[in-house]
Amino acid sequence: MNCDEATNLMDGYLDGELDPVTSQTIEQHLRSCRNCEQAYETHRVLVRSIGIAAPYYKAPAELRQRIQSSLREEIAERPMRNVAPDAQPLFPRQQPKPRAVLFGTPWNWLSLSGLSLAAAIIFAAIIFSNLAPQLRRPGADQLLATQLIASHVRSLMANHLTDVASSDQHTVKPWLDAKLDFAPAVADLASEGFPLIGGRLDYLDNRPVAALVYQRRKHFINLFVWPAGSDVAKAAKTITRQGYQLLHWADSDFNYWAVSDVNVNDLQLFKQQFETRTPRH
Amino acid sequence: MHFLAERTDQENMAGPLKVDYAFDTEDLESSAKIVKFAILKKHQEQDAAQEHELASFEETMLPHMDAAHNLAKWLLRNEEDAQDVVQEAYLRAFKSFGGFHGSNGRAWLLTIVRNTSYTLLKKNKAVDLTTTFDEEIHVSGHDSVSPATTLEHSENAELIREAMDELPADFREILALRHQEGLSYKEIADITQIPPGTVMSRLARARAKLREYLAARIGKE
Ligand SMILES: [Zn+2]
Repeated sequence: MNCDEATNLMDGYLDGELDPVTSQTIEQHLRSCRNCEQAYETHRVLVRSIGIAAPYYKAPAELRQRIQSSLREEIAERPMRNVAPDAQPLFPRQQPKPRAVLFGTPWNWLSLSGLSLAAAIIFAAIIFSNLAPQLRRPGADQLLATQLIASHVRSLMANHLTDVASSDQHTVKPWLDAKLDFAPAVADLASEGFPLIGGRLDYLDNRPVAALVYQRRKHFINLFVWPAGSDVAKAAKTITRQGYQLLHWADSDFNYWAVSDVNVNDLQLFKQQFETRTPRH
Repeated sequence: MHFLAERTDQENMAGPLKVDYAFDTEDLESSAKIVKFAILKKHQEQDAAQEHELASFEETMLPHMDAAHNLAKWLLRNEEDAQDVVQEAYLRAFKSFGGFHGSNGRAWLLTIVRNTSYTLLKKNKAVDLTTTFDEEIHVSGHDSVSPATTLEHSENAELIREAMDELPADFREILALRHQEGLSYKEIADITQIPPGTVMSRLARARAKLREYLAARIGKE
């Protein structure tokens, strides 16, 4: 092997991509040729430094949320399956007319995903109203969990965490009461490590629900609240999905779903503190 | 008799009608229930299948998001474009996930990221898409700056980044794939859609060019 051949194969040798016979031939040449040996050594160090010194651009956290959210939208936008015409709403309405129309839909995403969201909820409602009781809860819960996570992610993504940004429960509560046909309890839990950030009007099953926004260190917790139906399971339960924790509980008046990427223990603690600070029914 | 007969007629008429009606309704309702249950079961299966598909996709592909973002950032040299491309690539990957039966999720995703990046680069009429083939390979150090001096500066991250950013796109990508992802020549050939035999020579030219740019930058200082 001459110097030109050795030079041409040097990168393959360096990368360990040559067949054993060729590798051995180069090795022999490097041992006998000082010029090539030096050139190889310099090249080796430089090449090694690319791996060490070139910046590796890790994906920012918000990109992950963007992607997961767009994947869910993609599923929701797939061609709808035909649904039975007599589907019942997932949540019992206390008033027949949704008041949402009075103040419009505040976000762009609603108009984009409203249709598919509604269709998905109708589908859930069919499961809800038709399947045997032991089948009902998991199916509906899974679907609801997907919607809740989507709402949580959207609230973080769209930079629309709150409609009313205030740590003062006496500001947040009246705002929500005015927008909703029910009056959820609101409490600031700053001294318990869960400061209140504000409140937001959200929609599930085209029905306005309250979203209370809390912070836990650098994480956010969305607490979704709506009136409890007669058949709501009172027992608390947790669901872990797509890296998010969901904690559900209910009292005689309301359904609660807390959604966050904090750990389960933090969310349990949050529930305890919330229940302690809001009067039980 | 007349009255009785009339009453009997009415009863006779009403009786069977009622029964018929009740029977029909029940029959209809039960067949509707059967149909509805069949539709429901199908929907439930479809829904479960979609949930399962998404979960399996995320499990396979989300771990490679850093690799995807890194490649897109090197190719596009712009954070916003890189994020758009990665998001678009994930969507494309998800749509064709049914056709993915391989074991190398990262290589598959990077192929899509690369193609999506080039689409955007072409749209933006980037001038540096491919290299010209007349460059000389400077391996045996006749740069104006001595190899020792180049080496001294070679672990300066900022210098390396600047020099790498100056390279054409196909050089930037091959260096990122080899040195940051540690991919084999075979994997690089699959992702960049070039013959396996070309990978070594392209890598050699990319490294030589990087070294040249590095030396030029050090010389300027
Ligand atoms: Zn030699």
